[in-house]
Amino acid sequence: MSERGDAYRPRHAAPQDGRGHRLPHRMETDSEQVQRDLVRLVLTVVELVRQLMERQALRRVDAGDLPDDKVEELGLALMRLEEAMEELRERFGLDARDLNLDLGPLGPLLPPE
Amino acid sequence: MDETAIYVYGIGRDLPAEAVAGVRGVAGAPVRALEAEGLTAVVSPVSLAEFGEDALRRNLEHLDWLEATARAHHAVVDAVAERGVIVPLGLATVYRNEDRARAALRERREEFARALARITGRTEWGVKIYADLAETAPRERKPAPADARPGTAYLRRRSAQRHDEEETRREILTLAGDVDDELCAIAATRRLHRPQDPQLSGERGWMILNAAYLVDDERAEDFRTAVARLAGTRPELRLQLTGPWAPYSFAAEEEAWTER
Amino acid sequence: MDRALSDLPDARTPVPARGQRIALVDLLDRLLAGGVVITGDVTISIADVDLVRISLRAIIASIRPEMERVVAAERSDEPIEGVVTWEDPGS
Repeated sequence: MSERGDAYRPRHAAPQDGRGHRLPHRMETDSEQVQRDLVRLVLTVVELVRQLMERQALRRVDAGDLPDDKVEELGLALMRLEEAMEELRERFGLDARDLNLDLGPLGPLLPPE
Repeated sequence: MDETAIYVYGIGRDLPAEAVAGVRGVAGAPVRALEAEGLTAVVSPVSLAEFGEDALRRNLEHLDWLEATARAHHAVVDAVAERGVIVPLGLATVYRNEDRARAALRERREEFARALARITGRTEWGVKIYADLAETAPRERKPAPADARPGTAYLRRRSAQRHDEEETRREILTLAGDVDDELCAIAATRRLHRPQDPQLSGERGWMILNAAYLVDDERAEDFRTAVARLAGTRPELRLQLTGPWAPYSFAAEEEAWTER
Repeated sequence: MDRALSDLPDARTPVPARGQRIALVDLLDRLLAGGVVITGDVTISIADVDLVRISLRAIIASIRPEMERVVAAERSDEPIEGVVTWEDPGS
């Protein structure tokens, strides 16, 4: 009847397979909002890159193949990046969820939560 | 005079005349029954200006047109489903004229007969499962090994956090899978929809399951009771039940469903 | 079929698939094969004037495969090749 999926895999087709009826997305903004909306767009992309960087760094650190001074350098850089992102978000009144733009076929930009 | 075409809402068999009596469809047009091969197509006239190939493609990109048409379509399917068995068709199945519609019935006669057999005496129920990870109790975690070096300490903390998140995610997926398993045991069959676009659903939680269950009418009560019980015993998950639905999700053949 | 309404939470009181109370998303899941997605192309407009169209898909598509590889590799314990690169978003 129904397939028993891998317990770790969600039981539905991935949103990123690109099928499904596509509706255009229009961002209606106004002279007051436009700055905030554009910043949100940009910060969303920056946040994606930051998360990718963090994941990659953590993999290397967990693998244990980096010398201690490299680990420290990586950690400091990422820590500062996270602080900078927080500051930017605060300045524009955005929280982490605001930066999770849904890209339709690509799924939400950031993995859930 | 506006050129018209035939819009088909669904296919039934031996539908009583009352099934379409007084029913109005897209653009308020009267709905009627078109017979061929022992099957009944539930139809209404629509204008080519709106439903011709190019016009349709343009209109389908406008959410307000899509909503109005979808609701009109559903009103017809729903009204007929209350009075007889109907295999619902998807949005905008349009034929040039009655002859073409009848020819389609002839060609797809066996497919429709199989669909009718599949859905008769059964009803569709939708179950969606969300996880609101923010609501999930934080795990008992032993603190990351202390480190005087701030960068290193930061990375160890983040690493521990990510592992916790991954563990939580796996647990939640397993719980959701268990719910699906229990409901599948009651339902005759189950099909999966894609997770919904949060911009359309307005939901911010993580949608884990968007399923349609085809349940024998005699087991509908058992099914609803099971959903309520499962919702109660799993606080990490938010269950939403919709229905009863005419069996939209079970109209197509299984292979066609998984291909879509 | 019993349709009694009460103040019970969602899972016990099904949202009736009838009338305006049906969520549009639920309807579109069933009426359009594959459901509906909002595209990754954003048209920014002010005062009803469309000004610019940004293809986020093109930007993100060049990053996303990397992201998925990272996640997949995390699960499989294999080493990952390369780092994020910017590619011509012509694809």
